[in-house]
Amino acid sequence: MGQIEWAMWANEQALASGLILLIGGVVGVAGQFRDWEFAAYGVAAGVFVILLEYPRGKRRKGTTMERPGQWFLAAVVKLFGPLTRNYYVRAILHACLAVPGGFILPTVLGTVNLGIASLIYLLAAFRKEEWRPIQAAQTQKGHVGKSIHQPPTNPPPRPPAEHRRKQMDDGRTGAIEVTATP
Amino acid sequence: MALSCRSWLSNEGGKHLFLLFWLSVNVLLFWKTFRLYYYGTQYYYLHRMLGLGLCISRASASVLNMNCSLVLLPMCRTLLAFLRGSKKVMSRKARRLLDKSKTFHVTCGFTICLFSVVHVAAHMVNALNFSLCYSEDFPALNVAHYRDEDPRRFLFTTLPGVTGFFMVLVLFLMCTSSSYSLRFSNFDVFWYTHNLFIVFYILLLLHVTGGMLKYQANLDQHLPGCINPNKTSIDHFPMSKCPAEPFLEVYTESESGMENNSKKICNEAPKFQSNLQETWFWVTGPLCLYCAERLYRYIRSNKPVTIVSVNSHPCDVIELRMVKENFRARPGQYIVLHCPSVSTFESHPFTLTTSPTENRGTFGIHIRVLGDWTERFRELLLLDPNLDTEILPILQQRTYPKLYIDGPFGSPSEEVFNYEVSLCVAGGIGVTPFASVLNTLLNDWKQYKLRRLYFIWICKEIQSFFWFADLLCILHDKHLSGEKYQALNSRLIIGKPRLKLLFGEIAKCNRQKCVGVFCCGPNKLSKELHKLSNKICSHGTQFEYNKESFS
Repeated sequence: MGQIEWAMWANEQALASGLILLIGGVVGVAGQFRDWEFAAYGVAAGVFVILLEYPRGKRRKGTTMERPGQWFLAAVVKLFGPLTRNYYVRAILHACLAVPGGFILPTVLGTVNLGIASLIYLLAAFRKEEWRPIQAAQTQKGHVGKSIHQPPTNPPPRPPAEHRRKQMDDGRTGAIEVTATP
Repeated sequence: MALSCRSWLSNEGGKHLFLLFWLSVNVLLFWKTFRLYYYGTQYYYLHRMLGLGLCISRASASVLNMNCSLVLLPMCRTLLAFLRGSKKVMSRKARRLLDKSKTFHVTCGFTICLFSVVHVAAHMVNALNFSLCYSEDFPALNVAHYRDEDPRRFLFTTLPGVTGFFMVLVLFLMCTSSSYSLRFSNFDVFWYTHNLFIVFYILLLLHVTGGMLKYQANLDQHLPGCINPNKTSIDHFPMSKCPAEPFLEVYTESESGMENNSKKICNEAPKFQSNLQETWFWVTGPLCLYCAERLYRYIRSNKPVTIVSVNSHPCDVIELRMVKENFRARPGQYIVLHCPSVSTFESHPFTLTTSPTENRGTFGIHIRVLGDWTERFRELLLLDPNLDTEILPILQQRTYPKLYIDGPFGSPSEEVFNYEVSLCVAGGIGVTPFASVLNTLLNDWKQYKLRRLYFIWICKEIQSFFWFADLLCILHDKHLSGEKYQALNSRLIIGKPRLKLLFGEIAKCNRQKCVGVFCCGPNKLSKELHKLSNKICSHGTQFEYNKESFS
């Protein structure tokens, strides 16, 4: 359990909560609930949360899978520097955004879910996690293992296979006899 | 062209047909329930109060009922393994459908999430209408205590409200931790939250006992629209705020049949009864089946295995040989390891590389050390032999940690023996299911349908071949010593395999036959093989694709 990166989960939760808040807001406005202004707020807050949480942050170790088309939003989020990098700020922001949704029924669920996401962000902040953008140069070409011997440096005709094998530096224990076909 | 259609059909046809069938049942259920509440006379008054929200919420509830029951079935792994093994009961096509059980589980789960959103949204509108359209005439129908009661109170003061609220929370937690990237990076989070499903089901069974939605039970004595001599008008729903009568035209149609009777007189006031809950009928069966399976697996895995030997191989692979009483497994199956000394709750699946036979009861797995569980496990297994063991070399008591296994469970690789010609492609440690196949073939190959096997093993490093050095040597020797063996021709090629050429070669050598293609490795490899299996059609050869998945 010690290696869990809470920020990743909090990000998924916040994104889902934004969506739930948005849908709740739409239901509140369309259903003409009393105090529908809170529902309209829910729509706006939901959209804002979705845009903020869509770009996934970089994992501390391992490769991070980008969401499709997140590069643009990631550039925007990066512009705000410490405000978006720090997860304490995000936790407080989500907690504050969640509160007005609790005043009418359709957005109550969005409020509670966003509140949970805010708590998980707080946990991530305690563990000193940070939002960092995924750099484009993260992917490397898969490198071939070292034990594959170097391609021959001299042109054909080359000395027979036994001579080539003797020149190999990596010691094989000789368990398998394989014939390498060029 | 026709042949490639045949290949595609045999590869994709079964599962698409099944998906279509499942989709039609969902649509049918939704539509049937919608119509029941929209046109049903017993729901007339309720419908007038709530409007379209009633129909949509009930229709989505019936879809949810079905999917909540179906979602459990693909997870009964022991049952599926049993079905796979009983060849008389299931044809090969049906067994290939079992390969897609996890995908079906995910599809049902996704449907549950989607329709929960619809269901909750519709009930929000219902709550509003219960509040605004409070009925003084039919007090039994009301959920609100007075007109314009705050709809939020229904959420927290009624059983369906509270249980529904917590069900949404549990579903939210389960759903957000099930995304592919989170499973890939933080499997623990996914595993622990997904086990909250039992809370979800308990809440679901309580949710439907609320009985808030009622139908009219005495239609004979009181047909909606009848005249009550003591009252001037039938209903006092405030027309401006409440949903309009959507089915008035239909109702007048049925009423026109009664025109000869003139307007009927009500004999008595309408009596309302709570709806019969269907959910218990849908859900109880699969839930009991799943719980029974978990219990059976728990009892079966309660005895620890005896570790016979541990071997270390290059490239971070360890081989573990074990023995357990009454353990039987077919080649290609996998087991789940649980080691309390490493982690109390985690368990990890590993394919068996050696299955137990009649003569030899030991079975083995190869573990690639990649994460913290496997690293810790390796530390416990490969104890430093420096200290005491030199003193008593004969009584070298290695104290291995206690190990429990669950399984064996089935996998697509079991089908290798049921084709006349099979092509197995493995990437790296993905060779494990095929290793057990090769081990079995060494002992007795005549009893199986398999006559020719093409085996391709792709590794990043030559050292990786040492994992199965013994096995490859034995196979090589058997081939050389002249046994009548329609078996492997070995080649070592450096570089990526040219699969298209290979498929062409195999098709030419096995005309008019059905070749089983098996892959266990990275996604890119399996995608390429899948594509080639659907496309290649030369010489009348058909390629059937079977994919093993690791997660």
